[in-house]
Amino acid sequence: MVRYQQADAQATTELIEQLSPQLYRFFAAQLGNADDAQDMLQDASLRIHRVRHTYRPGEPVLPWVYAIARRVRVDNYRKRRRTAMREVVVETLPESAVPASEGTDLPPFHQLIADLPASQREVLTLLKVNGLSLEEVARATSSSVGSVKQKAHRAYERLRGVLQLSRAGKGRAV
Amino acid sequence: MNRRELTHRELDHLIVAQELPPLPADRLKQIESAVIADLRPVRPLASDAVYVGALAGIFIAVCIVSCYLIAGRDGWEALSNLQRPVVFIPLLAIASLLAFSLVRQMRPAAKYVRITALLATAVFLLLTASVALIFQSIPETAFAHDSLVCFRAGMMFAIPTAILFGIVLWRGAALSPALTGATAGGLAGLAGLAVLEIHCPNMNVYHIVVAHLSVVVICALAGFIFSSVTFTRRWSNH
Repeated sequence: MVRYQQADAQATTELIEQLSPQLYRFFAAQLGNADDAQDMLQDASLRIHRVRHTYRPGEPVLPWVYAIARRVRVDNYRKRRRTAMREVVVETLPESAVPASEGTDLPPFHQLIADLPASQREVLTLLKVNGLSLEEVARATSSSVGSVKQKAHRAYERLRGVLQLSRAGKGRAV
Repeated sequence: MNRRELTHRELDHLIVAQELPPLPADRLKQIESAVIADLRPVRPLASDAVYVGALAGIFIAVCIVSCYLIAGRDGWEALSNLQRPVVFIPLLAIASLLAFSLVRQMRPAAKYVRITALLATAVFLLLTASVALIFQSIPETAFAHDSLVCFRAGMMFAIPTAILFGIVLWRGAALSPALTGATAGGLAGLAGLAVLEIHCPNMNVYHIVVAHLSVVVICALAGFIFSSVTFTRRWSNH
């Protein structure tokens, strides 16, 4: 990251290659749409590039990166909502980012978490899809570790309910 | 079908087992070339202490300059020994909390950003309540006129302070410009309030609430609106 700030092209390329797949997972897991996730990844990468001077050497990189990524997601969501208020026509269905799970009876991750509140969805994605620690998630979301734990716990409780219902429904169908 | 409750570990396993698609290589190349094309060295933000020092320096300088521009310290002298700490200790506490919060807002993923801003708001409400309790209502013949004069004087010091704060904060505040604007506006308003408390001898509780404390609220609101427009555009890619 420090070499990126010093305009080292090699280090920059390595950093982008390391971070982009993780960021893409962060967006794809929540959006469920490959094109949107790629657009948002591009937006986030450019935003990170613009504000790279705000990273202070010695601090953890991932919370800094995800704090920017979640801001990009919120900004895009607001922008899309404004656009959606003006546009109505949808002619083709977008390509799904997450293929239907093979070998499991689970819906795709984004569908699984779709009913969760945005904050719980985000915490769950950061913890389970991106593999961040509680402390890192707390920093990325500007909240406390306790609050992150509580959101994750509540998200799990709701998911458990959804999965029990889904399994019970399938059990009856069989 | 197993109907028992899923454990946390089983849920973890189910979530991790979900596969997400890989990022297309051409998109990755596109991002790399866009970033590399604009690559130049940048200087990281200075330490928190430098920014706190700059904000505190501006705040104190404004109060000192006001003493040269407005003769006397009538307000300070009119306050009783009980009123002085009740007004100035919370005022300094709010200023410190806001400065701390502002410095934290300069960089993404910093700790204690929102809590300090919320704490500052709570102390401001406490200050308003304390003022309402320890100052009394005094009949005034020209309440509106006097209030307007004081409000204008407060804003006269708060606006240049806000501009100076804006210069200090220009390189940061990339994530929540609206919050940063409100915080910086509130801090600039506090500088205006401090000037009024030093110089205004009017001890009427309504005058203090309407003409003095409102400077902080109006400046915070103005900062929120101004930053929402200017800083949001500055950092977004569109």
